Amino acid sequence: MSVAIVGAGKFGQAIARGFVRAGLVAADRIIASTPCSEDLAKAAKIGVRTTFDNLEAVKPSNVVFLAVKPDVMRTVLYEIAPIISERHIVVSVAAGVKISYVEDKLPVDTRVIRVMSNTPCMVGEGATVFARGTAAKDSDSVLVQQFFSTLGFCVESEESSLDAVTGVSGSGPAYAFCAIDAMADGGVKMGLPRDLALKLAAQTMLGAAKMTLEPGSHPMILKDNVGSPGGTTMAGVHKLEELGFRNCLISAVESTTVKSVELSQQMLDEDKNYDEDVKTAVLKI
Amino acid sequence: MPIAIVGAGKIGQAIARGFVRAGLVSADRIISSSPSRECLTEMGRLGVRTTYDNMDAVKPSNIVFLAVKPNIMPAVLDEIAPVINERHLVVSLAAGITIDFLEQKLPANARVIRVMCNTPCIVGEGATVFSRGSAAKQTDSIIVQKFFTSLGFCDEGDESILDAVTGVSGSGPAYAFCAIDAIADGGVKMGLPRHLSIKLAAQTLLGAAKMVLETESHPMVLKDDVCSPLGTTISAIHKLEQQGFRNCLIDAVEVAALKSKEISVKNQQKTQLKQEYEEDIKSAAFIQ
Repeated sequence: MSVAIVGAGKFGQAIARGFVRAGLVAADRIIASTPCSEDLAKAAKIGVRTTFDNLEAVKPSNVVFLAVKPDVMRTVLYEIAPIISERHIVVSVAAGVKISYVEDKLPVDTRVIRVMSNTPCMVGEGATVFARGTAAKDSDSVLVQQFFSTLGFCVESEESSLDAVTGVSGSGPAYAFCAIDAMADGGVKMGLPRDLALKLAAQTMLGAAKMTLEPGSHPMILKDNVGSPGGTTMAGVHKLEELGFRNCLISAVESTTVKSVELSQQMLDEDKNYDEDVKTAVLKI
Repeated sequence: MPIAIVGAGKIGQAIARGFVRAGLVSADRIISSSPSRECLTEMGRLGVRTTYDNMDAVKPSNIVFLAVKPNIMPAVLDEIAPVINERHLVVSLAAGITIDFLEQKLPANARVIRVMCNTPCIVGEGATVFSRGSAAKQTDSIIVQKFFTSLGFCDEGDESILDAVTGVSGSGPAYAFCAIDAIADGGVKMGLPRHLSIKLAAQTLLGAAKMVLETESHPMVLKDDVCSPLGTTISAIHKLEQQGFRNCLIDAVEVAALKSKEISVKNQQKTQLKQEYEEDIKSAAFIQ
């Protein structure tokens, strides 16, 4: 099995690193392509093969990850379309790019899967949800499930859920980074050295999350179990409620989801304009 | 070497479960005491020996973990003090109970260690900081370090930082649970089924925390890395800033740390008042 990772930016590198670390694919069976030499150098450090040429990566591979930014997706799809065959599984990991958008630009019956994953894949603790395109087979689902299960949690779902997934787990790591930084700031304010404060904040978040993942756990019941009567924890929790902490996060998830929907629509609209422009240009000729 | 766990509540069960799970001590070498039948039943399920009598647990043991609520500590200390000798290492897990307080209540030269750990010890991902009392030896530190490292991260520190540690990692899991619940609410609002939403929220926090710990990158650098120009994530960051998200947590840590300090001061005052009362009684008796 040969894997192409088109787009060797942050996420492309994250999944490359994840796959190699998990022993899923040997580093030399992965080819990463990008026009950016800095990114290519970073990818090379992971041990994967690299190239500036997308076609060179795609031709020999059977699984092609498209990890490019939404705004260059169209160009990349048109570029690789001529060499995409029934041998390929095209896995798009780009936010806001609909399956129909991808299928539209590739040969009919191309097997496409759309994935919303996240950067903790690179430490083997990713969260991934994927949806099947019209020609994707059961075995394609199974393969993608296998890939992303080695990088963390993975489940298949409807495409319609992927914007919300973006809001929760796609962008979610950023909310967590801010939270860890803020807790560490609090610790430093109250007298801890920075590195200890940061370590404690991150470890606390990790531990609490792990507890929540145990079967049968509910976060709010777990919260109840932390505090003692008259203790420090309920004082802290009250402060969070006073300041609308939970609201911050609900709003953040909502705004990300809406943005993701907007992005997908934008891309479809641009398609329409693009087609019109092409038509007009052709007529002019 | 038997171990006593006085108090079989959430933290007592957490450390028992953790120590046994980590293979540090077998369940039948642990004796846990509590007045609560429910709690003892839970402990019993782990294979730990149980008793209603604190003395039964403390007398035969070398290491005594005090995992009772801060408001019961004074009574428990008074109760066990008569049987504490140089063989014992007393490890207190209670928030806001100072080393001074512990040492005043126990015999002179009792070896005491004060610990601030947290509930994720149950799943082997705890965060613990401990401080030595005046008679505790180097070897005592090493033992406690070993025990709590088997449950997650553990470091020794000066007692003066333990209130702050309480604010960050002692109470911190509750803030994380609230965060997970809220993110999950957001997901459900936007169309995800509840169980998937909770799963994704918890997994995301776990993964992000692991990235901070493993890459040793600054969390804000990691945040930068996940924010593409014009993307969904930076939009969310702005929303969080607008709503003072980070402020919520800084405030929560501060409030919890101050509360921890308040509890220690109150306990100290109570003990002082009690001492003064006892002296008054003595002098009154003398005058008569």
